[in-house]
Amino acid sequence: MAQLPRSELEMIAAYGPHVAHAQGQRLEAGVEPDRLVKTHCCFCGQQCGIQLKVKDNTVIGFEPWYDFPFNQGMLCPKGVKRYLQGAHPDRLLTALERDPASSGGFRPIGYDAAIQRVAAEIGRIQAQYGNSAFGILSGASLTTEKTYLMGKFARMCLKTPYIDYNGRLCMVSAGAANKKSFGIDRAANAWDDMLHTDVVWISGANVAECAPITTSYVWRARENGAKIIVVDPRITPIARTCDLYLPIKPGRDIALFNGILHLMIKHDWLDHEFINNHTVGFEAVAEHVADWTPKRTAEVTGIAEKGIQQAAEWWGTAKTSFMTHARGIEHHTHGVQNVLGAISLVLASGRIGRPNCGYATITGQANGQGGREHGQKCDQLPGWRDLANPEHRQHIANIWDMPVEEMPQPGVDAYEIFRKIETGEIKGLLSLCFNPKVSLPDSDYVSAMLDKLEFYTSIDFFLNDSARHADIVLPGSLQEEDEGTVTQAEGRVIKINQAIECPGEARQDWRIIQDIAQALGRSKGFTFDGPRAIFEELRRASKGGVADYSGISYEKIEAQNGVFWPCPSDDHPGTPRLFEPHSWNPVAKGAGPFYFSDGKARFNVAPYTPPAEDVDAEYPLMLTTGRVISHFLSGTQTRRIGPLVDQYPEPRIELHPQLAMRLNIQDGDWVTAQTRRGEITLRAQVVRTIRPDTIFVPYHWAGQKSINRLTIAAQDPISKIPEYKVCAVRLVKATQAPAYASQLEPQQ
Amino acid sequence: MVKRHPVRKAVLWGCMTTISLAIMIAVGSRDLAHFDAALVAYTFATLFATFGITYRYTMWLQRPPTAMYWKRGWQMFFKPQRLLTNIRNLFTRTSSDFAANRFIWKRGKLRWLAHWFIMWGCIVAVAITFPLVFGWLHFASVPGSLDSYRAYLFGFALFDFPVDSIFAFLMFHGLVWSSFAVIFGVMLAMWRRMRDHGAASVQQFVEDILPLILLFAISVTGVMLTASYTWMRGYAFDFIAILHAITVIFTLLYMPFGKFFHIFQRPAQLGATFYKDAGATSEQAHCRRCGEAYSSRMHVEDLISVQKQLGFRYEVAGEVEHYQWICPPCRRAMFVLAQTKQWQGNFGDQMFSSMHEQPAAPRFGNPVISEGPLGHEDQANLHF
Amino acid sequence: MPEAQYEFFIDPSRCIGCQSCVQACSECDTHKGQAMIHLEFVNRHYSTQTAPVVCMHCDSPTCAEVCPADAIKKTPDGVVQTARKPRCIACNNCVLACPFGVPKMNSGAELMMKCDMCYDRTSIGKAPMCASVCPSGALYYGTREQIEAQRPRSMPVNQFQFGQQTISTKVHMMVPRTAQPEHIDVLSAMHDHTSGHDIFLMMHDE
Repeated sequence: MAQLPRSELEMIAAYGPHVAHAQGQRLEAGVEPDRLVKTHCCFCGQQCGIQLKVKDNTVIGFEPWYDFPFNQGMLCPKGVKRYLQGAHPDRLLTALERDPASSGGFRPIGYDAAIQRVAAEIGRIQAQYGNSAFGILSGASLTTEKTYLMGKFARMCLKTPYIDYNGRLCMVSAGAANKKSFGIDRAANAWDDMLHTDVVWISGANVAECAPITTSYVWRARENGAKIIVVDPRITPIARTCDLYLPIKPGRDIALFNGILHLMIKHDWLDHEFINNHTVGFEAVAEHVADWTPKRTAEVTGIAEKGIQQAAEWWGTAKTSFMTHARGIEHHTHGVQNVLGAISLVLASGRIGRPNCGYATITGQANGQGGREHGQKCDQLPGWRDLANPEHRQHIANIWDMPVEEMPQPGVDAYEIFRKIETGEIKGLLSLCFNPKVSLPDSDYVSAMLDKLEFYTSIDFFLNDSARHADIVLPGSLQEEDEGTVTQAEGRVIKINQAIECPGEARQDWRIIQDIAQALGRSKGFTFDGPRAIFEELRRASKGGVADYSGISYEKIEAQNGVFWPCPSDDHPGTPRLFEPHSWNPVAKGAGPFYFSDGKARFNVAPYTPPAEDVDAEYPLMLTTGRVISHFLSGTQTRRIGPLVDQYPEPRIELHPQLAMRLNIQDGDWVTAQTRRGEITLRAQVVRTIRPDTIFVPYHWAGQKSINRLTIAAQDPISKIPEYKVCAVRLVKATQAPAYASQLEPQQ
Repeated sequence: MVKRHPVRKAVLWGCMTTISLAIMIAVGSRDLAHFDAALVAYTFATLFATFGITYRYTMWLQRPPTAMYWKRGWQMFFKPQRLLTNIRNLFTRTSSDFAANRFIWKRGKLRWLAHWFIMWGCIVAVAITFPLVFGWLHFASVPGSLDSYRAYLFGFALFDFPVDSIFAFLMFHGLVWSSFAVIFGVMLAMWRRMRDHGAASVQQFVEDILPLILLFAISVTGVMLTASYTWMRGYAFDFIAILHAITVIFTLLYMPFGKFFHIFQRPAQLGATFYKDAGATSEQAHCRRCGEAYSSRMHVEDLISVQKQLGFRYEVAGEVEHYQWICPPCRRAMFVLAQTKQWQGNFGDQMFSSMHEQPAAPRFGNPVISEGPLGHEDQANLHF
Repeated sequence: MPEAQYEFFIDPSRCIGCQSCVQACSECDTHKGQAMIHLEFVNRHYSTQTAPVVCMHCDSPTCAEVCPADAIKKTPDGVVQTARKPRCIACNNCVLACPFGVPKMNSGAELMMKCDMCYDRTSIGKAPMCASVCPSGALYYGTREQIEAQRPRSMPVNQFQFGQQTISTKVHMMVPRTAQPEHIDVLSAMHDHTSGHDIFLMMHDE
């Protein structure tokens, strides 16, 4: 289609984001709820247990769920106020059709008519241009059942290779590196293994704001005597009192890991027995890091030599340790290399696969783990099977009862899908649980590509910023309106329970997908009567795969408060800790604890390369992006929840006073940041908690406040993750307030 | 001296008000000529309540903080340059806060509705019954006219009105209307108290429930009296009358002790507002840690002297002099920083300190939590 | 009696400023829609340090003593309650006198409001909202045995010194076991700005 149907301001006026505050029954102190529903938070990858108070088919509040083992009642502010996303004035209660004549740019249409229109467009585009002319973007906040269904929908119903998901922006670097090193991609431990460890190493993870409950594990470890090492360009709240803080330059993590390994080898702080018996490839890595002297490491990373020495000594001489990292080291064009470097430190120390020794990436999205296991990735089939592997294809084709030759070959990553829109290979797009216009880098390009589509349909419960470009918007379901499983950061499969019914004509997402399949006349394989039925098929499909869910049932999850996969049989209790010395897995078949045929883990040489766009005279600073605690992802939900908007209303540019003084910027001034992609004007927050050569902007806002209009679309060659965490930028003091300051509310 | 004999002083004042009331009754009823002997029990209960209330009020006024406010409240009210404004404010505040209960509206709509009905019901009832009981008000037939009544106050004739007029009906049934208002208010209040989890956790029977039961009992028995003589030919009238008397007398005796005492305390709110008005325009106290203004200097100094009288020892050596000179946000910050100091050396953090540069005032992390700051004073307390 | 077993412990050194406590506080039935807990950046310019402050529930509460209206009462189990609504005359004495800076003045409602340890919850054996949700353990509600087992480096203290005045409280603050202080001298922090890392300390000089 062409442009937005109406101006951005008009669309915001009609569809928000508007903020909701507690009122009516939600504000009364005397309301007895009809029931309390034990479920989980709808936001980040920790998936805290929570009980929702339900009254008259509305979630009116929450009560802590003290017995859920991971969080024991704890919640972050998003979890506390999540109940305000329901019964929201912006909620889509009908399907919408693009209509430039309507004041908001859309007019409501009947649900069935909308489904028919979507099916007709899919049919037309596929008939005219071929099956692969229609693409799908899916999300990692969906239940595992839905992610499974989306993969199946693409491969079996639409027969298009082009499906990918927003986990591409999240944990793929860690996933790829884990596969390369361990043969399996899952946090190797439950967080309990952090509690009695000697050293906790946190690289590029703003634990306090992005995985708040993990804080309690870190602090408990500290009480038990652990040293906490935090590596980050900013002194985040968890870094404030950590034992050793290393202010790394964005994008230089692999250099630090190589430098630490260099010192471990130099001082012989190695577990030779483990290296010899359980790993391969150490010599090559040792040779590679020989050059990474503390001096060179310091020059590249921007960290003082004494800090590097201290970290190496603590890590090297520890008896037990827990290595953890997140997007800070993963959102890079060498994100996979960064993670490989972290894993090398773990393998060289031999501290994995036993109590109080661990390694994990902290997954970001609600189902970041489960959402990357069962086939909505462009190259993947359920149970972490490989779409290019004939054996795997045959197994799934049998489960789905389809001819294997009709199953498409691997497609491309989410960003590449937009490049294929540009080249005209993709003409139509369906998105669910994905707001690419806010969350992808260089987003003006993304926006232009959405406009280039012949047909775009988006399924969501609010009109997200990308859906404004849609031809048809289908009203989807909130997390509390459906049931299903998700797999949280530790690898624990848990159950989301339905609290309320969908309002108006909104439908559960799996119903919408099945309705489209039916309208296309291809309903075979899409006649599930509910998430439980989908899960039963998923169990069979995953059986024998690396991500084996076959022994997990809804009842077992309930009884055990979650089940850690792999869980290959009904009597299997699940696997909280991977790689235990005599553990069995379907790849090694007893040869060793790791998921390779010889049972051994792989050391991988991880060469350092600077970021795709390094600083220069024109753009002398580094821009890094991230989250704040009160918002989540593209803010479609959190920017509609009043108390969360109050907590952090608008993005600010964080910069060091030294830099501020040079540019004559005061705290609160309007400042313009410019990159080769675009510019943004925001208020300055002048703080001493960031490197003077780096600025930070959170990414949860849209339009004129979206920092992803400035970030670079360079991607890791292996994982295809974009380099959100560093690009070159320059900063100037703005001469006046931007126009939006007087036109828009903070969250808009 | 006041402080040495607070009880003696309270007894003295109690006796004085009680005797004054007794004299007023004697005079107002023209030497008990218009005094209804059947109401003697009510009269004695009222005299007891008068003593009790005065006693407690006097004791209360002698507590150091109350005494300070009592003194300052009048001082500030009568300050010549403020007197005109104060009188104007007195009228507006009396009507908005006392007549309309605006501040209770802000505390909660349901609470306001309940209170407003109970309050006005009681005021009307008291205005009717007490003068009648004391013999200050009575009605008699107009000599020579069978269908007119004449109202007398303190024995002086006021006006005549026809017996079968609407006015007469409304007036002679005044207690019925007030009972309805009280019953309605009490039911709302009880409903709220039974339902509201917050109220349920803090309420006490004697303090919060008993007063509602008493008001309810008085009103219901009173209405039953009317019902008895209007429609039931006086059925069980004597029994109901005794029951009614018991409830009223018990309530009168309860007044000095329980929740109803707030009726007499509440006007102090006016004193507090005059004090705060004066404080707002006078010299401000600046925090001796962050330098920001946080209250009137007068208030801080008064509080220091009150704290001394109460036996607190918040005196601080050095330039701070007294802890009261630190603003509340800085107290919160110092409280936390003092703990941080204890942990120094255990973790990697260091203390940023300076003897020369004044520490900045702590800033609230969330400028608009929920409904925002609770008004301008809270705003001063928060440092945005 | 659950009140006797369970106690409130605070450890501001753990606080990450996430405001879960603030957001959960306004869900409390005794003051729904309004948060009573304080959470401030001590000095954001220097550091992310935040100060979470709940009512400490003093054994002899200054706020109640300086109240001219006898509006502040303590329950038998030692919880200092928010002002009794019929009595409070909104004079602001308690706000100015509390050594911890806890009470808030609700000007429109002519009412002091403060943290009452979620009396609607604690009086029936449930943990307070803030301590339930706190992700860092800065606010903790549990038994002494539990906290001692979970925090081998810390011990609780409930004596605070303000000039010559000692105040003992129902709520405890965690301090290092190695230090064993009898009390915390609040005025000792008179000249401290905040705490944290100095970013230059570990930065490589170029």
